[in-house]
This record gives sequence, structure tokens and C-alpha cells, in this order.
Amino acid sequence: MPKYLVVDSSILIFYDRKGKLADFLRQKKKENYKVVIPKAIAQEVVDDPKSLAEKIRETSPELADKILDSVERISATIEQGLILVETVNYKKYSKVIDNVRKHLSKLEAMPEFAVKKGDPELIALVVQLYEEAKEKVFVATLDKGLLRALKPFIDEVKYEVLD
Amino acid sequence: MAEKTVSILRAIGNPNKAKIIAHLAKHRGETAEGIGKHLGYPLPTVYKYLRELEAARAVESEAKGNTRIYFAGDFKLEISPQKLMEAFEQQTMLDLYRGRFGDEGIQKFNKVAEKVKAEKMTFRQAAATLGITYYEFVCLLDEVGGIDA
Repeated sequence: MPKYLVVDSSILIFYDRKGKLADFLRQKKKENYKVVIPKAIAQEVVDDPKSLAEKIRETSPELADKILDSVERISATIEQGLILVETVNYKKYSKVIDNVRKHLSKLEAMPEFAVKKGDPELIALVVQLYEEAKEKVFVATLDKGLLRALKPFIDEVKYEVLD
Repeated sequence: MAEKTVSILRAIGNPNKAKIIAHLAKHRGETAEGIGKHLGYPLPTVYKYLRELEAARAVESEAKGNTRIYFAGDFKLEISPQKLMEAFEQQTMLDLYRGRFGDEGIQKFNKVAEKVKAEKMTFRQAAATLGITYYEFVCLLDEVGGIDA
């Protein structure tokens, strides 16, 4: 039975910058992890940087190329099935998403609609995968603030943070 | 890490700023006023230098009551013609960010990075606050050596 490992964009971007993303993912596969991301994360690591590269192409062509190379490498790992993109069941997990939004909006005193969807989607995916598999879900992120937002769900979901 | 080399080299390219690091390494914690007094720099200049040095992670600080104490950052530079060529060859995300938002933007980034470090803000909230993409924020944080991994 594979173990689910939900990874945040921070891990994907950071490891890619170090040239170690594919190795990291292959290693996790060997360790029997199924690496998954929600759609919002896929957008952050593929669509958003692609748009950024296009925007800066005229003024910073080398940096734009560097960003596009990174997008290509990350996209390749998705195409190769090293990362699975999962759809969050918004209807079923709307309460989880709302709670995360509330928690994060309080932290920064910003309106709930201003909370970026990646954080709530990632946490909702952890809950969703746990409920589906009834097995502990693993999480990997460099973002300690995000882990703090995940903590209130510790009674509902068994999860472990990978270093 | 080429980007970090560039940001530190830029920060200490000015000998006056390098003297601040040397002073902090010797005294292990000093206020901006103390630095100004010892090195003979006007206080606004000291603050400007400290901001730039902190942005490059060449200097760190912590609040103690109403004052802020500065320390030399824990960095090591390996310099060779090859390393310099690699470091300066490519434009970094920090260059791009500085070009768009200037020194004021760097100050804002430092404040936000502190909040992220203190777990008071997620990376996404930080990026939204700065008006940049998540991708840019992670790259910036990496370039200034702000990721513990």
C-alpha cells in the first residue's frame, strides 16, 4: 500500500533550483510514497512562473529562460507520473477550506477572500487523502506557517511532517 | 550558491559595510548607535548599511526590549575567478525584485521574511503581501539564504 506524500510548492521549487527535484521524487517513489499535489499547487509551479517569464522576457531574457527551464523540468516530473495532481472535492471539504481561510485571514488581518487558495487546498487535500485511505498522510513543505495552519486538524487527521 | 555570493558581494562591496561586519564579528552584538559611534558613521548611514546587509543575510538582528542588536551573519564566501564568473553571469530574482520595487521593496521583503521565519505568515501570504508570485517569493528567500532545509 503506497503512502501519500502531499508536497507543497516550496519543496518543488527549492529542490528544482538545487537540481535535485527528480532525484528527490525518485527516492520518494522508491520509499513507496505516492507524491501528490492539489491543482492550486500545480498552477503555482507551472502556470504562474510561465506567465512571469513571459512578462519579463523583454527586459530579462536570461532570467526568463531560467524560469521556463524550471517550469519544463517540474512539468516533466508531472508528466512522468512522479507527481500526481489531485482534485480537491470542494463540496465535501468546504468546511475545512473555510476554517483554514479563517485561520489565515486572522493571522494577517486580511479578508478571507484575500487568502491564496494554495494553503487551504493543500490542507483540504491532506484531510481528503486521509479520509479516503484511512492511513497516515505525509506532508513536506518548507513553510512553517503552513504547518501551523495544519495543526488545528491534528485531531481529525493523522499526518506526519517529513523533514 | 551563486545568488547568495552575489548578494553578499554586493552588500560588502563597500568597505564601510565590510567594516561593520568585522566590527560585529569582534563585538558579538551591537546596537546601530554603538556601530555608528565606534566606526564614526552617521546614524542614518549605519541604518541604511544594516538594512542592505540584513537583506543579503550578511548581518542578523534581534530585538531586545526597545533596542535592536545586530550580529555578523554566519556566511562563508569561496571566491575564485570561476565562481565570480558564475555568480555575476546570471541575473537573479533579487535583481529583478530590486529593479521593480527598489530599496523600499527590499525593506518590505525583509519585514515579511521575518514574519515568515516567526511562522506568523505562510509563504503564500508573504507573496501576496509583496505583490509577487509564490515562485518569486521562494526564489527570493532562497537567494538571500532564508530557507532552512
